Amino acid sequence: MKQKFRGRAATASLFVTLGLLLAACSGSGVDQAATTTEDTAATPAVECGEVGIAMHAWVGYTATANVLTEIAKKEFDCTVNQVELAEAGVTYDAMESGSVDVVVEDWGGGRWQEWVDRGSVVELGPNGQEGLIGMYVPKWMADEYPDITDSANLNKYADLFKTSESGGKGAWLEGPPGYTTIGEKMIEANKLNFKAINTGSETALIDAFTDGQKNKKAVIGYWYTPQYFNAQVELARINFPDNDWTDAAEASGLTDYPATPLIKLASKKLMDSGSPFATLLQNFSWSNEDQNAVAADIEGGMDPAAAAQKWIDANPDKVQAWLG
Amino acid sequence: MISAIKEIKTRYLILIILGVWAVLAIIFKGVATLELATYQNTFVTQTANDAAASIRGNRTQSAAFIYFFNPIRGFISGFVELIRMLIAIPAPNSIIPVLGWLGVIGVVTFFVFLTSNFRTTILAVSLLFGCGLLGMWTDSMDTIAMTLAAVILSLSIGIPLGIWAGLSDRVLKVLTPFLDLAQILPTLVYLAPLALFFLIGTASATIATMVYSIPLSIRITSHAIRSLNNSPIEASISMGATGKQTLTKVQLPMGKQMIVLGINQTVMAALSFVVIAALIGSPGLGGPIINALTIRNVGDGFVAGLAVVFIAIMLDRSTSAAAKTKQTFVPPSKKEIQQRRMSLAGMGIFAIVCIWLSRNVLWAAIWPKQLDVSEIVASNTNTVTDWTTDNLRFITVSFKDFISNYVLNSIQALLAGSPWFITITMIALIAYLLGGRKVALLAIGLMLLIVACGLWYETMVTLTQTLVATMLTMILGVILGVWIGRSQKAYKILRPFLDAGQTLPAFVYLVPILGLFGPSRFTAIVTGIVYSIPVVVKIVGEGIKGVSTTMIEAATAAGSNAWQLITKVQLPAAKRSLLLATNQGLIFVLAVVVIGGFVGSGGLGYLVIVGGSKPELQGKGLVAGFSILLLGVMIDRIAHASARKYGN
Amino acid sequence: MNSHNSSSAISVRNLWKVFGDNPEKIVNSSDADLSRSELREKTGNTAAVKNVSFDVAPGEVFVVMGLSGSGKSTLVRCLTRLIEPTAGSVLFNGEDVLKADPARLRELRRTAFSMVFQHFGLLPHRKVIDNIAYSLEINGVKKIERHKRAQEVIELVGLQGYSEAYPEQLSGGMQQRVGLARALAVDPQVMFLDEPFSALDPLIRRDMQTEVIRLHKEVGKTMIFITHDLSEAMKLGDRIAIMRDGAVVQMGTAEDLIGKPADTYVADFMRDISKSHVLTLRYLARPARPGEATDGPELDSSTIIRDASQVISQQMKPVRVSENGKAIGIVSSEDILKLISGDAN
Repeated sequence: MKQKFRGRAATASLFVTLGLLLAACSGSGVDQAATTTEDTAATPAVECGEVGIAMHAWVGYTATANVLTEIAKKEFDCTVNQVELAEAGVTYDAMESGSVDVVVEDWGGGRWQEWVDRGSVVELGPNGQEGLIGMYVPKWMADEYPDITDSANLNKYADLFKTSESGGKGAWLEGPPGYTTIGEKMIEANKLNFKAINTGSETALIDAFTDGQKNKKAVIGYWYTPQYFNAQVELARINFPDNDWTDAAEASGLTDYPATPLIKLASKKLMDSGSPFATLLQNFSWSNEDQNAVAADIEGGMDPAAAAQKWIDANPDKVQAWLG
Repeated sequence: MISAIKEIKTRYLILIILGVWAVLAIIFKGVATLELATYQNTFVTQTANDAAASIRGNRTQSAAFIYFFNPIRGFISGFVELIRMLIAIPAPNSIIPVLGWLGVIGVVTFFVFLTSNFRTTILAVSLLFGCGLLGMWTDSMDTIAMTLAAVILSLSIGIPLGIWAGLSDRVLKVLTPFLDLAQILPTLVYLAPLALFFLIGTASATIATMVYSIPLSIRITSHAIRSLNNSPIEASISMGATGKQTLTKVQLPMGKQMIVLGINQTVMAALSFVVIAALIGSPGLGGPIINALTIRNVGDGFVAGLAVVFIAIMLDRSTSAAAKTKQTFVPPSKKEIQQRRMSLAGMGIFAIVCIWLSRNVLWAAIWPKQLDVSEIVASNTNTVTDWTTDNLRFITVSFKDFISNYVLNSIQALLAGSPWFITITMIALIAYLLGGRKVALLAIGLMLLIVACGLWYETMVTLTQTLVATMLTMILGVILGVWIGRSQKAYKILRPFLDAGQTLPAFVYLVPILGLFGPSRFTAIVTGIVYSIPVVVKIVGEGIKGVSTTMIEAATAAGSNAWQLITKVQLPAAKRSLLLATNQGLIFVLAVVVIGGFVGSGGLGYLVIVGGSKPELQGKGLVAGFSILLLGVMIDRIAHASARKYGN
Repeated sequence: MNSHNSSSAISVRNLWKVFGDNPEKIVNSSDADLSRSELREKTGNTAAVKNVSFDVAPGEVFVVMGLSGSGKSTLVRCLTRLIEPTAGSVLFNGEDVLKADPARLRELRRTAFSMVFQHFGLLPHRKVIDNIAYSLEINGVKKIERHKRAQEVIELVGLQGYSEAYPEQLSGGMQQRVGLARALAVDPQVMFLDEPFSALDPLIRRDMQTEVIRLHKEVGKTMIFITHDLSEAMKLGDRIAIMRDGAVVQMGTAEDLIGKPADTYVADFMRDISKSHVLTLRYLARPARPGEATDGPELDSSTIIRDASQVISQQMKPVRVSENGKAIGIVSSEDILKLISGDAN
């Protein structure tokens, strides 16, 4: 048995060593083929190398990230790694560790400051889009109870929203863990007879709104624009008094969520590398409509890369402007 | 006889306690529940926040990071990167990994054939093809690479420690508390603290996976050494062999088979964890699965989940076949060896050709888009789930509402809704009746600590869900367990489901369950049931099967019918198994109920998840993790003590 | 009794083995006289070997006999310190084994002692020849040399043709032959056999006993043989020690034990033995009575009575019994009949 084992182990290791030597010595034919076919592509002054983009879950984000990915691949021959990560802290830490380099759309309202101060993250300013968070009900409710969209009247309807989860009060579906949320404060400050339910994911919210509109069920929940879902299920916004805050931690809760310019972030490493991707990211800016166009295709079942390419082909002037 | 009377007395006493508790809960409803809004902090959580912030701030300066954490992170991520370059990510100066997809297939063919047999090889290769067809080739390779890296590192620590613990009682004694703790600790809990020190990325993901899989490999290796037939070892010592000689010439060769089995277990544990570790930056299939959870897309989640299942089966079969091929110590005959060498050489040539092709021909290097059926699978899955949720939801939701309103809410009213000191008193009294004075005191201590941490209310919410999920698991588990214990056919029918349930990461089925029940505590409970039921069914089934045939024959001869046989003979005789199953069920349920934070269960799990994303709540998340640990220890100790008291 | 006998191969004095916490406290205390359960109740200890002393002469086969739990297996393990004794001394050629440091102890085990186990203790992953050569291997003997020696022993124990087999391919009896061969391979001075044949079928057991007698005649090793089987003890042992509850109840030749049992425990044991099968003529030899014929055939004193009975019953005269050529008495057919009828009761 021992002999057999030794024999086998020997064969195996010999084989592995041979194989890997073979692999390492012969420059792969695939690479050679790749370089010859890409002679036509623009040769950048500095090689792009690898770029990691943090992928957040919502479709709009996927749209933006894929447009940037496709441009970077085509124009600069970048290797782009898309890494699925939760928002904010998790992503900033990943940027600090070097696992990812880019956030294309951050809603965090300045939570990154600590990482910027430490010199691991660079804030690149707005990406051209504006985000608006708020509390919404399905359209049918606004039709049936026209005054429900005024936050002052919410308590009148609290009973409609009771569920097994809400302990006798109205169920207030709060946003996912990583999102900017102040629902608990709003309930307290406005003395609402509601209980915040932490749904844990956007899926839960989409499920609840879809079900609510389709089956005429009472739902009140956290939602935001830009978001392609808004075109599928009509929602009505509950209006709270105008906002008085920019930092969620400082919010009183009496007022509504403010409109937020969405921000681009990059790792210091990427910005210092002189990579053409850094320039692309700095120049990048588009509108909510642009994003929705791509997101609609993705939601419609198109492959994200293909949807992005479709938009790129349709908007050569915008792309050209980003390339600088 | 006396113990039976005592048991009945205990039962009534517990009912009385619950009655008193219920009355008190109604009188003092909502008083001193210590409920806290998510954004609020207590002294302890605020301190933890500050500490976390200062640790984050020190990452670039403090010596501990520069000389300890960062080098470890660098070493491990470098190692992981090397392995990923082999199969998953582009190698330096190349656009493809060292091995393109066909090369991987060739190498897998060779190695699986080397360690097992032809059938397993075919199975493994087809499963790999499956991953490619699902359009998940690169993600699958990343998952395999991450698993492989974690397993290699885990085994290089776990096996030597396991051998040491197998040889020395003192070492085992030192290690045992850690091994026990590792079994109780829900996986979600140690992601956050690791990320605080090793940041987000492959290093953290690998270390977390190692924390999860090393205890298993230590346990099995030490058991392998300890369970060896003693007489060859004694013989070796009697002949004057040194400890090292006995180890290398007797114990290791004899224990090898079981140690290989340990490798199989370690691989499976690492794989299931690598999926969850996507939360802290593990590349691979975990990402799409978590994505599918956060934005509603059952289809994509299903495709990724299916790929995980394929990889799980592949790794399980090929590593367990490696453990099983040698049931005897006698080697095959010379002719057989010759034949085997020939076929191995054939496979080797095949592998080399595959590797060469995969490095030189594009279709063999990068999985061709034409061979991608993921969209068909995903869209069909979406159609089926949509139909199911549309048409079944009224049933599932009414069931959810029924359980939530009548069971969950009443228990939560007792545990979380009454003043904290009343809850502590009542739990302590029950712990005293079930397990004795020592356990009651321990429980009081742990609960006071939880109160001091400031997350009492959330802890009680989580405890409620754990208890209800365990209750439902036990009801279902005993029924199924009795069934498979009594019928070999039933065992055959259920076994694939049980095995699948044990290898599937909980994340994979969280999405469809969410579709059926919506965001609620009950969704977390169902997930907990799905996760823990295989273990419970298996233990109960074994227990029922283990009831002596003489006993059953005697009862049958006395004219018992099947129902009497089950309730009066088999279940009482399998009492020990039932207690063990309850204990295991509790711990398994707890591990998954906290993941329910993703689907609306609230409680401690939600706080852990929030802490990961919101820097200002990171400390609170860490404290929540610690509270889960305290809760786990309390549940485990009470269950253990009562099992000891009533198990005989 | 306390002084060591210098001519012995093994000389054991006041050996104790107590399991549990603070074992030294039990040694020589009044607690040691308590029964096993009483002692456990009182102190939590178990006294497996209590104050055992004996001497084994070079070339002697010394049998320790006792029922399970009597401490005999612990005793034999104490002698080579597979179990560390609590107190006492074990002299081997004048050297106290209990005082040997680990290196010296290993050396003794490698060269002077060897052991045969009840469950064989063969290494399942090694061929017969490598099992037998194992002790030489750990001693650093080169492969060619150790295989040559192993081959010699294989022939000695009758395992020709099996050297390439694996233990699991052999019957129990054959496996124990490997065990014996392994023990003989190092040419030890003392062999310890711990119930070597208990796990075998009765028929095989008898063959193996004969084999041991033959081997003993050929190689002349000192043997300490543990058994729970009285007839095995009688058949093999020059002297027998009977153990009960950790202590030696009686020690002596088979004749001593049957003729003068020390207590009812020993006597109860001896009642079931068929004396004619184990005793030799030495036991019955007596001076001739007046008028008895003293010219019968001569038989050696070591002849088993059963074997002699045919000769004696055919003769009309008593046989003369001689030991080392010296006449020690006569045995008549009536003597034998009386003994056999005693057996029947």
